[in-house]
Amino acid sequence: MSKSSYLGADTIALHSGYQPESDHGSRAVPIYQTTSYVFDSVDEASALFNVEQGGHIYSRITNPTVAVLEQRLAALEGGAGAICTASGMSALFVSFFSLCSAGDHIVSAAQIYGSTVTLLKHSLKRFNIDCTFVDINDQQALGAAIQDNTKLVFCESIGNPGLAVSNLPAIAKTAHAQGIPLVVDATFATPYLNNPIEHGADVVVHSVTKWIGGHGVAVGGVVIDGGNFDWLKSGRFPTLTQPYEPFHGMNFWEEFGPAALAMRIRCESMRDIGAAMTPHNAFLLLQGLETLNLRMQQHVSNAQAMVTWLQTQDAVAWVNHPDINAEAHTKALFPKGAGSMLTFGVKGGRDAGAAFINALQLSSNLANVGDSRTLVLHPGSTTHSRLSENDLIAAGIGADLIRVSVGIETLKDIQADFSLGLRAAAKILAQQAEA
Amino acid sequence: MYIQVDNANTFIATGGKPFAAHLPTVVLLHGSGTDHRCWALQARWFAFHGYSVFAPDFPAHSLSEGEALTSIELMAAWLVRALDTTKVDKVHLVGHSQGFLVALEAAGLLGDRLKSVTALATASAIPVNPALVEMAQSNPKVAAEMMLQWGFGSPHQYGASSVPGMQPIGIGTRIMANNPLAIDLIACNAYEKGAEKALQLANIGCPSCVILAAQDRMTPKKEGFKLALDLNTAAQVIADSGHMLPMEAPKESLNLMKKFIQSLET
Repeated sequence: MSKSSYLGADTIALHSGYQPESDHGSRAVPIYQTTSYVFDSVDEASALFNVEQGGHIYSRITNPTVAVLEQRLAALEGGAGAICTASGMSALFVSFFSLCSAGDHIVSAAQIYGSTVTLLKHSLKRFNIDCTFVDINDQQALGAAIQDNTKLVFCESIGNPGLAVSNLPAIAKTAHAQGIPLVVDATFATPYLNNPIEHGADVVVHSVTKWIGGHGVAVGGVVIDGGNFDWLKSGRFPTLTQPYEPFHGMNFWEEFGPAALAMRIRCESMRDIGAAMTPHNAFLLLQGLETLNLRMQQHVSNAQAMVTWLQTQDAVAWVNHPDINAEAHTKALFPKGAGSMLTFGVKGGRDAGAAFINALQLSSNLANVGDSRTLVLHPGSTTHSRLSENDLIAAGIGADLIRVSVGIETLKDIQADFSLGLRAAAKILAQQAEA
Repeated sequence: MYIQVDNANTFIATGGKPFAAHLPTVVLLHGSGTDHRCWALQARWFAFHGYSVFAPDFPAHSLSEGEALTSIELMAAWLVRALDTTKVDKVHLVGHSQGFLVALEAAGLLGDRLKSVTALATASAIPVNPALVEMAQSNPKVAAEMMLQWGFGSPHQYGASSVPGMQPIGIGTRIMANNPLAIDLIACNAYEKGAEKALQLANIGCPSCVILAAQDRMTPKKEGFKLALDLNTAAQVIADSGHMLPMEAPKESLNLMKKFIQSLET
């Protein structure tokens, strides 16, 4: 809905949240590799601890370098505030932890990242928080899955690894009609391709490790409070609208309004769980963020070209990318292209797929996405290996699925590398035919 | 806390502690389209340092119900009725922008219940561009964005925040877009008695404090200096802040506010 800055996205990525500091005039954001900050007086210390003034106390809670990244990401996504965390998974955990208590319930998209499935299905279950998985674009199923104790609807804007695009406006409408906020993991989209808050999301989460960092050098996450959800009107969120005893009875909604959730996460999760991003990681991730928009242009154009190219290869059985036969909501949400992830299968199934991956020389076989370099993976035997067969089917993961995070190398070099892999896969297929 | 004023449920922020009428009371009055949250940090400091805080959402603003009040005079009279429900005796009035116009008008109604007035980023008259009023009537969201683009100083336009990780412009826009901004702006524009009221306060020796923002483009500091002259006090200017002073420089503004109010209570 509302912008947090009047600067363009390219400018925000470079400048927001930091102007040259007064002591030395450092142009780049300095690394405050520091744990703690001197108080002017006992009174000031007391004021900081009691949220009577802003500032830094201890780097588990806030840090000057991390704060720049937080403010920059909040501005890019058009949010009211942001909290950076040690990883994308910890960003998800503190979001769920802040909105849910024992006995509560979550409705989640079925096609999501494997570790998020285990968090929702197994880890939170131990704390008596249940989850129902649905086809998130089936609004009837979504509406029917919402219960009296449901606290949030969760989806990924582009699902991992199935690449289904969530119809955010429709999902938000269904959730909001029942007083439920929509939490969106927008990692695959990045703020360059889509800003979920503009389309109805109430909380946005990123694994900043991926395209935002972009260089495979630091792990981090962020929760962005959209600031538009009326927690009081919903009537389902005592953690935000009733006095919080450990903070002198603070009522986050009454005192901080649009930033209530961000302040709750800051005051509770960062204090009690301590999943803090390190200052050095924040610095590294800021270097990535500053060129995110430029890199994403190349990521997307390379991915689109690879889709077209793969579709012409004899050894390829199928190719999946959200822009192929894109649905209306995909076109509306992703006018610049729906990301740089693609999946495909080679003829010959899992063995041919393994041969493909093993033959690659330029592309890397590893468990990450969003690096500037091209990455490949077989999710069925790695990131999603802990899922049951039914869960794999629900997540859209076949045994032959190869996940590709298309990098920003010269296009012809990626194609040459994939040609090596496809030749190896073709040999397996031929052997299978002979046998 | 919620109180009933004119049969409407009315939210009064108390800074995180229960309101206690026997304590020195600081009344924090928000500006056009905003709410008590512009005082979030200052309110907590006063509440936890021996004061009672009374920071209302004016009718139809954020957590308060009721009909929006259409003039500064009506707002001032409403404020006195709201204070009367709490049995509070003497008060320090603190107002930001429009909130200080309300304070000036309410001062005459409070008589000897008034201990002091503190003005933040304001003037004795606040003319409003008709185009902004028109936009606030037709498209409050766009008007809120326009106003905050104009209202925040340079550091905040570049994403600065006194509270780590927050986006004050994003927060302000969300609050303002849902409140009766147009009605507030029309009320500000119509109020012409500010200078007269300020002179009256000076004549009766009411202690006053004027805090201005160096980058204020909505109530330029030269107008604030005139107000200070009328109030017979010296203005103090906070650097690197725009019109949204309580949110842009909460620590600096609080330091000046508490120094002034504490000096009257000791």
